[in-house]
Amino acid sequence: MRNRFRTTVVVMAACVLALGVLSGCAPAKTTTTPGTGAAGTPKSGGTMSFYIGEPAYIDPYNTQESEGTEVEQSLFDSLTRVDPLDPTKLVPAAADSWTANADATVFTFKLNKNGKFADGTPVTAKDFVYAWTRIVDQTTANTLTKKADPSIISYHLAFVKGYDDLFAGKTKVLTGVKAVDDYTFEVTLSKAFADFPIVCAHPALAPVPQALVEGGVDFNGTKVAFGDMPVGNGPFMMAEPWSHNQYIKVKANSNYYGTKPYLAGIDFKIYKDTEAAYTDFVAGNLDFSPIGAGQIKAAQAKYGTSDNGYTVNPGKQVVLGAENATYYLIFNMTDPTFKNPAIRKAVSLGINRQAICDVVFEGTRDPADNIIPPGIAGYEKGAWADAKYDLAGAQKVLTDAGFPGGKGIPAIKLSFNSGAGHEKIMELVQSDLAKLGIKATFDSAEFPVYLKQLDAGKFQIGRLGWIADYPIADNFLFPLFQSKAGDNKSKYANPAVDKALDDARKIVDTAARISAYQAINKTVQADNPVAPLMFYKHTRVGSARLHDFTWDASGLGDFATVWVD
Amino acid sequence: MFQYIVRRVIQFIPVFLGVTLILFLIATYLPGADAVQLRAGEKTMSPVLKAKIRHQLGLDRAWYIQYGDYLSSLSPIHATYYDGSTPASPSTSPSVRVLDGSVALIIPKISGSVPAAGAVSYDVREGVPVLRGQLGRFAIGTLAFEFDPPDLGVSLYNGRPVLTILSEAYPYTMRLAFCAIFLEIIIGIGAGIVSAVKRYSIWDILVTLGTSILVSVPVFWLGLMLQYVFGIWMQDLTHGAFYLPVLFEGGSTAPFPAYVYYILPAITLASVSTAYAARIMRSQLLEVNNQDYIRTAHAKGLSDSQVLWSHAIKNAMIPVVTYIGLDLGAMLAGAILTETVFNLPGIGYAIFKAIVGRDFAIVFGGVTLILLVVMVVNLLVDVSYAFLDPRIRYGGLEE
Repeated sequence: MRNRFRTTVVVMAACVLALGVLSGCAPAKTTTTPGTGAAGTPKSGGTMSFYIGEPAYIDPYNTQESEGTEVEQSLFDSLTRVDPLDPTKLVPAAADSWTANADATVFTFKLNKNGKFADGTPVTAKDFVYAWTRIVDQTTANTLTKKADPSIISYHLAFVKGYDDLFAGKTKVLTGVKAVDDYTFEVTLSKAFADFPIVCAHPALAPVPQALVEGGVDFNGTKVAFGDMPVGNGPFMMAEPWSHNQYIKVKANSNYYGTKPYLAGIDFKIYKDTEAAYTDFVAGNLDFSPIGAGQIKAAQAKYGTSDNGYTVNPGKQVVLGAENATYYLIFNMTDPTFKNPAIRKAVSLGINRQAICDVVFEGTRDPADNIIPPGIAGYEKGAWADAKYDLAGAQKVLTDAGFPGGKGIPAIKLSFNSGAGHEKIMELVQSDLAKLGIKATFDSAEFPVYLKQLDAGKFQIGRLGWIADYPIADNFLFPLFQSKAGDNKSKYANPAVDKALDDARKIVDTAARISAYQAINKTVQADNPVAPLMFYKHTRVGSARLHDFTWDASGLGDFATVWVD
Repeated sequence: MFQYIVRRVIQFIPVFLGVTLILFLIATYLPGADAVQLRAGEKTMSPVLKAKIRHQLGLDRAWYIQYGDYLSSLSPIHATYYDGSTPASPSTSPSVRVLDGSVALIIPKISGSVPAAGAVSYDVREGVPVLRGQLGRFAIGTLAFEFDPPDLGVSLYNGRPVLTILSEAYPYTMRLAFCAIFLEIIIGIGAGIVSAVKRYSIWDILVTLGTSILVSVPVFWLGLMLQYVFGIWMQDLTHGAFYLPVLFEGGSTAPFPAYVYYILPAITLASVSTAYAARIMRSQLLEVNNQDYIRTAHAKGLSDSQVLWSHAIKNAMIPVVTYIGLDLGAMLAGAILTETVFNLPGIGYAIFKAIVGRDFAIVFGGVTLILLVVMVVNLLVDVSYAFLDPRIRYGGLEE
């Protein structure tokens, strides 16, 4: 028995050891080292790998989150495109040119006549009519299940005439869109909106080929649902159907009408979390990744920082540019305490934004001095006069208003959604308020519950983050401060602002329109309906293989200019 | 035995109904259970749109109607009454029949005659057709019995069929579970035998100490430490094979064969239960070794190893088999912590993500699958007793 027993033990020990050293047999792997920053001549070929989480949709009709949008925009071109390095500039994409009528209600887009889908079919105005109708029509079927799965992003087209009727199911056509001829696409709006061509740059508003949407896409002799293998008119095309929770591979589209990309393909690798992606990046398995928590400074030291905050080149690989998003506190203007403009002003002045950015975000966010972030046309530095830390000033405002040392102000509630990291921010806000003599307690709830509280006005100070759909001032001022807008949680109602917002939308001249929005912003900031806290910033890093890769303020990669070693 | 199995299968029904009913009630009354809003992030979703989506997903109906619908969609067979009439409001699509009402509250009544063959959609709610008769149809007069694969609904997050999502995730969980159970059987039972046979030796002390430590170590911590040691600290030695994230095979981009990615997760998942298995094995073997029949076997002149392998171990195994069997069931139900730590897209992680995102269709589908697996594994464990111990027999006739 002893001998057999010994043999058993030896076998088991061998198994354990084998497991431990098994990796010794694994193949060697290449690792990337930071380059020297030499620009070099662009080279064609090669693929880049790009971090994403599992997208919800890559079919344009319901592209909603950043993950799906990133993939979708590599496959599709919308009518226009925002210049990645200058959000104030709109450049042609599927449309060569566009014109607006005098009151900004009718827009005519002339399509590029060389535009083709990846299968070679020409892109015509009818494809836009079909695609846009599909977004608004609430009976649109998901191509995977053939069951109705309405788009949640139809609001992009809420301006288009006939939207309400199609949305409500009263008709099957979107009357405001018209294919005048194959290459002329005309859009009639129900209300003036001069910034509409920028809305048209949204990746979700791309044309789709009806035959493939409804009939499926051929891949190696089988039919794949359009939702898993969309065919678009963009610089890239799907190399194989979406491998859910694993990867999405795209390759250069030989039928692309625009400047052909240098890359032969992009591997969108799907990760469960950003930490895992960053570890893979460090190991040399990923070309573009979010930076792990607490590692920004180390990454900057190791990989170098991008000059403009958006473009990656060897040795200048960390991108920390501002995003088109603002984190802000909301004052409930129907609340007895916060009806008082002096208290709103004092609270806004009393918050040490820099401390929040430094303590909670390690400097990866910037203190906000405006509700409109720096990447948007119309941003003016320090436009929100009270969005700065001035404790003495805040105390003086309270004293002047009859609340010396905060006396007379009842204890208030700070509302926020739990479990998303806002506790730390609110703790600092709470201590800042204490310095003003205002006692604040927490009132947190799960996000949907919290949102209901905001809608019902059952809060005093709340918080939200606003991420622009389009890089325009209107996309901040209208939704947040127009009296009837759904996202105006502070219930700010100023008839002059409402009228000015409507008027600004009618101004076709871009410079004049931007000045109008700046004037509106000045009016709103004087009332302090919200207190802008922080501007979001990129925290991503590219590998030393990447040259001229721009990740713009909206978080969209410019895959047309990037080339790899 | 057959009767026993039938009885056990019938017992599945109340367990299944009980668990799913509790889930439905939680999903209905849980505060913040608003999957539709979560899709819009921090932006306000238009109340009209929200109501529309809720209606289309059937979330605006009473919970018991939704529950009945869920149970019905799981069934592979449905009865339908074709009344032969012309529908009052014909559908625009020829493949969609108008559902007029129901007979005896259960059997749906459809306008028109029994279709010849193939699938037919019923317009159940506004714009939500349901396929019936995909696997065939059998009619008695105007009453048809239609066969379809079970339908677990679609994800509220991305509209994909839950069955597809689960069938993509389940192979990962199964592979992980079988790797872990393999380790548990080999190492757990092996260590238990060693420490019982070599009682009070250095091996016994090592096993006892090792199992105490393993039982006390949290799984997620162990997983992270293994990643740190093998993945980061020993990165050059292992050529990065264990470097996080073990990119779930990764298709053609994977630098290593698939099994490499299961080594650390399997060790992590198996750690606690291996320790328990070793301890149970040890105590059982020690107890069995004191039995009269073992002494008799020795007295008959059998060698130590013959007594151990032929008499002692087989009898000592019964509680261990129970434990490992139940553990396999639990592992097949998904290992949320291990799957999350190691980035494995298994069913545990899918359900965890669905719970966080309030995607109850996936939660219900996943729980249904897990329930079935756990019930079947438990049944197999019970049945296996009969083979291990001839004294155990089930059912009336064979006793």
